[in-house]
Amino acid sequence: MLKIKEYLRPETIEEAYEMGSLPNSLYVSGGLIAAQLKISRLERLVDLKTLGMDEIEDGSIVKIGANAKLTTFMNNPILSSQNNGFFKEVAKDIGSTQIRNMATIGGSIAFKLGWSDVITIFMVTESQVEFYDGNFHKTTLENFIKDGKRDQIITAVYLPKNTKFMAFEKFAKSTFDIATLNLGIALSLENELIKEITIVVGSRPMISERVREVEDFLKGKDLLNSIDKAANLMESVVKVGTDMRASAEYRKALAGALLKKAMRRICYESGIQG
Amino acid sequence: MKVEFKVNDRKHSIEIEPGELLVETLRRLGYKSVKHACDTASCGACSVQLDGNPVLSCRTFTAAVDGHEIKTVEAFSKEGELSAVQKALVEEGAVQCGFCIPALVVTAEALLNENPNPTEEEIKTYLNGNLCRCTGYVSQNHAIMKAAELRRNSASVPAGNQGELS
Amino acid sequence: MKVPDLGTTLTTSTKFKVVDTSVPKVDGYALVKGKTVFTDDFNIPNALVVKILRSPHAHAIIRFVDASEALALEGVVCVLTHKDVPRVAYTRAGQGYPEPSPYDTFVLDKKVRYVGDAVAIVAAETEEIANRALKLIKVEYEVLPAVLDYEHASDDGMPVIHDEPEISGAYDPSRNIASHYEMHIEDVDKELAKCDVVVEGTYYTPNPSHAMMEPHTAISYFDPNGRLTIISSTQVPYHVRRIIRHIFGVESRVIKPRIGGGFGGKQAIHVEAYVTAVTLKTGRPARCVYTREETMTATNTRHAMRFKVRVGASKDGKLRVIDMDGLSNTGAYGEHALTTFMVAGSKTLPLYNKVKAVRFKGDVVYTNIEPAGAFRGYGAPQSMFALDSALDELAYKLGMDPIDFKLKNSIREGETSPVFRMMGEGREGVEQIIQSCKIEECALAGAKLFNWYEKKKRPKVKGTKARGCGVAFAMQGSSIPAIDMGGATIKMNDDGTFNLMIGATDLGTGSDTILAQIAAEALHTTTDKFIVYSSDTDVTPFDKGAYASSTTYVSGNATKRAAERMAQEILKAASEIMDKPIEELHLEDGKVISESGHSITYSEIQTKLFYSFKQRQLEVTESFVSEVSPPPYMVSFAEVEIDLETGKVDVLNFLSYVDCGTPINPKLARGQVEGATVQGIGMVLYEEHVFDKNGRMVTNDFFTYKIPSRKDVKNIKVEFAKSYEPTGPFGAKSVSEIGLDTPAPAIANAIFDAVGIRVKKLPIKSEDIFFALKNMAKSL
Repeated sequence: MLKIKEYLRPETIEEAYEMGSLPNSLYVSGGLIAAQLKISRLERLVDLKTLGMDEIEDGSIVKIGANAKLTTFMNNPILSSQNNGFFKEVAKDIGSTQIRNMATIGGSIAFKLGWSDVITIFMVTESQVEFYDGNFHKTTLENFIKDGKRDQIITAVYLPKNTKFMAFEKFAKSTFDIATLNLGIALSLENELIKEITIVVGSRPMISERVREVEDFLKGKDLLNSIDKAANLMESVVKVGTDMRASAEYRKALAGALLKKAMRRICYESGIQG
Repeated sequence: MKVEFKVNDRKHSIEIEPGELLVETLRRLGYKSVKHACDTASCGACSVQLDGNPVLSCRTFTAAVDGHEIKTVEAFSKEGELSAVQKALVEEGAVQCGFCIPALVVTAEALLNENPNPTEEEIKTYLNGNLCRCTGYVSQNHAIMKAAELRRNSASVPAGNQGELS
Repeated sequence: MKVPDLGTTLTTSTKFKVVDTSVPKVDGYALVKGKTVFTDDFNIPNALVVKILRSPHAHAIIRFVDASEALALEGVVCVLTHKDVPRVAYTRAGQGYPEPSPYDTFVLDKKVRYVGDAVAIVAAETEEIANRALKLIKVEYEVLPAVLDYEHASDDGMPVIHDEPEISGAYDPSRNIASHYEMHIEDVDKELAKCDVVVEGTYYTPNPSHAMMEPHTAISYFDPNGRLTIISSTQVPYHVRRIIRHIFGVESRVIKPRIGGGFGGKQAIHVEAYVTAVTLKTGRPARCVYTREETMTATNTRHAMRFKVRVGASKDGKLRVIDMDGLSNTGAYGEHALTTFMVAGSKTLPLYNKVKAVRFKGDVVYTNIEPAGAFRGYGAPQSMFALDSALDELAYKLGMDPIDFKLKNSIREGETSPVFRMMGEGREGVEQIIQSCKIEECALAGAKLFNWYEKKKRPKVKGTKARGCGVAFAMQGSSIPAIDMGGATIKMNDDGTFNLMIGATDLGTGSDTILAQIAAEALHTTTDKFIVYSSDTDVTPFDKGAYASSTTYVSGNATKRAAERMAQEILKAASEIMDKPIEELHLEDGKVISESGHSITYSEIQTKLFYSFKQRQLEVTESFVSEVSPPPYMVSFAEVEIDLETGKVDVLNFLSYVDCGTPINPKLARGQVEGATVQGIGMVLYEEHVFDKNGRMVTNDFFTYKIPSRKDVKNIKVEFAKSYEPTGPFGAKSVSEIGLDTPAPAIANAIFDAVGIRVKKLPIKSEDIFFALKNMAKSL
């Protein structure tokens, strides 16, 4: 049990923001993380689920309501038909059925957890975050991670629709475990040469980050024949740390190894033969 | 604060603490099949169905289930008759200490509602959050395959599954 | 070591009706419906909530405790410190009396010896108040230097962990040595000099947690007559009763309901003493349910062990020497210290009885971490990892297939080993001649089923993955001979059912069921005619409890005896009622049938005996204690795949071929092996405790301490060899522990086969494999 004074269920976003701006307030949507927090000062939980915001709307950019569960995200037909079924495939390895039935897209971002797979996935797709702080704003997920404030309410994530090839690789000790390291790449090809590319490494154990040196290196390169060089570069530039799950040195090696796996997967999916 | 929700079709209208967790409320109300085993959303023993979907009651605020429907394992053996999942678990020797079993039943029932003909791999994926320290999982996965078959074969006779087919 | 032929014919083809069938578990229906069967499910009105204040320091003296603020909190009923509980030294180990574990523990002490050690007991009206009270208790500690590295625990100048004058039964507390053991047969050094091939290695096994799903829980209260009653999730209700009496001088009744797993973790008294202290102090019911964190950090783990092994053979493949120099870490207290260490020898060495010279010795040391205790396998998985890995390496150096090498040197039916006599549990063992041993069938049939020879010939590396296969042999025991005793009471009812009352403690294993099967077989009826009740010290007969792979064998034999005597009683009564000589009567399908074809049902017999004919209740109690401990045997085969880019190891296939005598209930027996296998895989690949520099366990939950989950487990297969143990109930031996002995060596041997790396430290971390691969590539 959390020793709090009130559990509030606001009806409008304005009301929610007002409640959330009070000292010792915390927003809750899925509840997974909030229920585990041991903040002794916490007085008030502000439930955002009453605001709806759980729809996934199609368009040139897919709008995913912040309260959409990971299960909804995983089983959404619009997303399932995107990028060769990438989203469904990666979502099913996050947490467990129960966790996916509870965790929301907004909540998975708001707590800015270092080991989040969701953040890596949305960062590599260059998604934007819409949030409310009295007004609605939109910013890139990368910027939100840097600048987002506690009382801001994430209302939606905007996922660009495109035909990029995507791959997500997660290394974890057990299949029901957070990542020791995760890595996502998204790229477009022109005559087997890489045109655009984003690479994100997460659970470093610090929060997910783009690795632009490797992106820049790979732009214009032949995908198949750059795998080893890109992996070597990754190992030398990726910023990683040591914790009880792995040493920094091993994480570097993992970043290279996962990049190789991801690039090989895209070679396979795009029909590029080795 | 006051909340109202249904557990296994029975209405409860009760006073709760604002920070109360569903596992605490349910056990207080006598639904002792809901187990508190890990504190970190890591074992699945507290799983219940919330509007038909398995969730962790140790991470669900009771305040948030106001107006919703909960199912615990008691919902699946009405009038004492076991559901196909329950029957198969016992028959296959898949119940050892039994502490994780109520939550396993609740989750497996949801799986078979969503996917009446799962592969073993799909069973493992869906139930990966239901830890068991006794069985090594082999017999449990087997039992759920068998239960799926039993359910498919008796699809017209909802014996033992009244809880969810109604 | 060959002994003359036994001259007995061992029946292996006996036809059973109930035994050797997979009847559903007698408690299965209640469990699958989620009935209120576990300790914390019981509503006890007005029970206080008990919480324990725990030490943040690994080693400290408690200068003073100020509980005034906590006591001032409304709803706090009592706060007990070391001044409020009897200062009686005891061991938490639930073992036969007198226990071979040192008496080095107090309910509360003025010294704390690990992070998590108990400092004070709080009882309050609600959990929330109890938790708040914990924060209000002020404790002044004098922090002492701690012993965290067990390899240096008895170095000169190390702090002394047990300096209390009351300690007894410890080997040399002044050097932090809880226990010491050594034995030898012939001279290992002389014999090693004669060997053509010698392998040496140092092997480490860690201290995993039992991680049973139900945390430790107990409730105590005075019954209406003022008798102290303890409901506890325990494997050892009779030992709990005895130890509670030893500490508090109070008689009690201990009830064991269903248990949510134990694996040895509940073969010790943990919470029982705390709730008892509160009930005795306040007169009120008291309930203590450990959190997961407490279960992880403040109960028991497996003993971490180090073995320096030397094995040697002549070039014809004859094993001549086994030399094991061990070191075991018992943590802050010495529960099961000596016995787990001795079992590390006694349940492994006799397997290779052809060996000329054997030595087994070492210390069990105290350190300032969570105490180790009993854990499925009880030392054998630790030493078997070392011994079997070394033998695998020896076979490799000899150019022999490890199956051939291990078979050539292992024990067979009709043989013995001097180790049986030399090593018991905490004392000398008993001599025994092996009457059932199908290890050859296990190895050969297993190899065939596993495609061992074909798989060994395959190329190891394919793309970025390498595959390899390993094999491991194991034995265990069935009970602690000449110590373990179990009893069974059978009472016949007028509806033709029987009450089967047993002290044996079903902790999820299915012992209630298999004991009912044994009774049903002997009484020529069906399992559903038995109302099984276990265990309640005021109602059921004594049983040592569930440990040492003893329940099927010891409690099973006790049950069989009781049932056989009940059969005689039934025949006697029937003979009187039917007026026929006993010799003309036999039992069949719940009836007594005469040669002339007349019959009378059990129900009719007891009805007559209740109301109209030589009135009496048919009831018998029998006990059993064994003079031997027949080992089950097992050969396991593992196929692993290693990701060469990351070092990740996956166990693709794991086959165990088991000789457990007659499996009383094949599905439940299989479940025991499957469960133990996955616990073994967990110990090998997933489970690791990390401590910070102050000795605090960081991996104190299931989020950071990963036990295998469903998708982690690939293909596991279990087969049983046809076997019959003449001294066992209907030919049965034990099956619960042996499954944990093989995963470590089988997987480690498979990793060597795949990539040429000898792993000598568990758990096997992908990081370590990765860097080992990298170093190998560099040196090429």
